Amino acid sequence: MRLTIKAIGFTVALLWIITLTLPVSVTLSLLKLAEGKNLGIKEPTFTFTNGNLSLTMPFYINNTGFYDISEAKVQVKICKANIVLAEVSKTLPEIQAGQTVEANCSFTASLEEIFQKDQTLLTEDADLNVNATLHFRVAYLIAFNIASVSATQWGAPFHNLTVYGETYNKTSHVLYFYVSFNNHASLPLEGSVTVSIINSNNETIGATSLNLNVQPGEAFLEHVEVAVNSQKMTNSVLVRLSFANFEISRRLVQP
Amino acid sequence: MNELELQHGFSLQRFASRVARAFLVTAGYAVFWLIVWFLTSMFLAGFPNYNRLFSVLAGGLLFFTFAMVLAEGTIYKHILAIVRAFFLIVYLTYATNGGTLTINLENLTFTVEFVPLLALMVVINLLEVARGLLQAIEFAAKSSKD
Repeated sequence: MRLTIKAIGFTVALLWIITLTLPVSVTLSLLKLAEGKNLGIKEPTFTFTNGNLSLTMPFYINNTGFYDISEAKVQVKICKANIVLAEVSKTLPEIQAGQTVEANCSFTASLEEIFQKDQTLLTEDADLNVNATLHFRVAYLIAFNIASVSATQWGAPFHNLTVYGETYNKTSHVLYFYVSFNNHASLPLEGSVTVSIINSNNETIGATSLNLNVQPGEAFLEHVEVAVNSQKMTNSVLVRLSFANFEISRRLVQP
Repeated sequence: MNELELQHGFSLQRFASRVARAFLVTAGYAVFWLIVWFLTSMFLAGFPNYNRLFSVLAGGLLFFTFAMVLAEGTIYKHILAIVRAFFLIVYLTYATNGGTLTINLENLTFTVEFVPLLALMVVINLLEVARGLLQAIEFAAKSSKD
């Protein structure tokens, strides 16, 4: 029995040494990793294609620490009040001790999905919260989670969209009005906008197209003429602007 | 020596020296915990309730040190070692919030998760319980022989 007691005592002492040494060595390992130029992020690039906003961020990590880094994951969540507009995450490769890893961290968010969740983002500026989280595990035992919350300003691409000055020529059956807005977004608005006139019965009674080339920060003002089906014309009509996959409607009442 | 001392082998002088020894040993450990507190508070002061949790740990372990030195040569020493192991299991699980510690710094939340390490600490204390039990059994067996 005495031998068993001694063996347990020895095991307990050994395990305490391991348990207490590990956090210290992990801290030293992380400090070693953080010093010098062992971590780096190269210039991020933003691209906008097919209604998707992409962010590509090349980075490198030279793991000079004592332990492998695993389960590395970056997560970005964009919220407006309590609505989650976009959530993207990227799992990074495992970085073994003494190894340098160069990789790309790419995030893609569909603007269509974002605008479906909150249509007002097309026409109204907003304060958004960006929750970024970095998770990684050192020595396969101790996990670290760093989360940051920052506020960012959203610039609406069709800010203050106004349809006004409507006149209807009953002889030529043409509806005239002005369309104006300011592009507060950081991306230029380029392409064709379809302007449709919809009557009270939800029927399209006329349509035309406008060419957009509005740079960030610029204002847009255009006098629009739409030939409409006079037989289906109603006192109140909707003006629907379709750009890419997005639609914005404004009600017009005939003078 | 009075009748009680003769019957039970109880000596006031021996008890006083034992208490004095327990005080000395506890004082030594208290100095050690004070040094640990000075060293760790520099880095860990940001953790919520750090001072309170540290005082509970140091106070608890100092109490057990005092009681175990006082109970030296009796079965109570081994029972106290078992109780101390259970105290450490409960304390470590509670103080580390089940192995997940979080610090909030303005817009940054820093979380450290060390559940496997906590599990290892629980295993160590369970081994301490087993050792305490074996020592108590050995002590009881030895006493009955004598």
